[in-house]
Amino acid sequence: MSENKILFNTGSLDELSDEIGKIARTDESHIKLTPANADSGLAKLVLTLVELIRKLVEKQAMRRVDGGSLSDAEIERLGETLMKLEMKMEELKKHFNLTDRDLNINLGPLGDLM
Amino acid sequence: MELLVYAIVSAKNNPEKLFSLLPGIKGISGTSLFSVPFDEVIAVVCEINRIDLNANQSDAIEYARVIESLAEDFALLPMRFGSVMESTQAVHSMLERNLNEILKNLEKVDHKCEFGIKIFCDYEKIRSDLKVKTENIVKPNSEPGQGTKSSIYFDYVNQKLKEHRLEELLMTFVDSVIAEIKERLARLNSENKIRKIGAEKNIIDVVFLFKKDNKDELIKMVESIQNQYAGIKFVLTGPWPPYSFIDITIK
Amino acid sequence: MHDNVIDRSKDITILELLDRVLNKGVILTGDIVISVADVDLVYLGVKLMLSSVETMEQLKAGKPIIEK
Repeated sequence: MSENKILFNTGSLDELSDEIGKIARTDESHIKLTPANADSGLAKLVLTLVELIRKLVEKQAMRRVDGGSLSDAEIERLGETLMKLEMKMEELKKHFNLTDRDLNINLGPLGDLM
Repeated sequence: MELLVYAIVSAKNNPEKLFSLLPGIKGISGTSLFSVPFDEVIAVVCEINRIDLNANQSDAIEYARVIESLAEDFALLPMRFGSVMESTQAVHSMLERNLNEILKNLEKVDHKCEFGIKIFCDYEKIRSDLKVKTENIVKPNSEPGQGTKSSIYFDYVNQKLKEHRLEELLMTFVDSVIAEIKERLARLNSENKIRKIGAEKNIIDVVFLFKKDNKDELIKMVESIQNQYAGIKFVLTGPWPPYSFIDITIK
Repeated sequence: MHDNVIDRSKDITILELLDRVLNKGVILTGDIVISVADVDLVYLGVKLMLSSVETMEQLKAGKPIIEK
């Protein structure tokens, strides 16, 4: 190795090297569809997308609540729906034996989906 | 025998220098480098048996080192590792078909190098610093009509709202750091790209183009931003060949 | 302690180098790069076998590049 390319650092090399190392590893986040695993491979793909949508919906809902324009009844209904959605998602993850980490697609240069 | 292409070099100034340099630089596994010229550009290549090209770290590093040596004296566009073409003729046609785009990109990177800043944000720490500000709770405006059942949902919403506000503050913080960097780089007239990476999106990845000889100016700049933002850590690397600034689709 | 810092510096430098030479630079198989909003989505992670993605995956797995 010729020159050192690090011009300035504040001692964060450990964390950085861990994080960048994680990015370089992509095998975990691949969805490999084969005849044998078609069911769970497909489930992973579908659940990833569902989870993404759920998170976006939740975020949007929180913005509305924060905005202060919702009535108590609306907040209550929102809470109930979101809670049930989250619970359903947990059930599905358990059923297909998937963790949060599994449900995150790596988009290469764009980083992770979520 | 196929050809492994390392870089497309500008032959505008002093191409003879390139021809005299090449014999002194070894390609991967000690192969000789040679040039395939077309108009104002020259592709630097070596012979390779595609099957023999080992996709491993040390070959990739050697490949990058060749590019590095060439970049010391010439404006160039670095190729991605694994860029193999069938023959000299194929390389020649590729240069011909894409000449305009190639020249445009070479112009953009002339006399400039790529530098990178990676900023590690300790979200745990920032979150706990910010937590103090998120104690506002959503309270029902009227008496809950259905006793315990409705308060469960209100509690849930409160919990989610706290998390949400914390995340928003976190994002605002990160965005302010990004805005600061953008401004500093704009002052230096430096083209840049910034994005958030990492599993938690807690690393800000900045790449920018700048004149090679002004390292000190860059170090000072990063030091000063670092002083503004105590909770996060900066690493400045470079100079690199302009890998991130190639805006080309090879036809 | 000092050695650790030197090792980490080397690690970071190598990682930065590899990230660039493996993931960036001029791509020859440009006609199959999908672009969205000026970002090259070479790689959608759902096993859409674009040949440059295939190359990168083989590279990362340490396998020789097999040309199709």
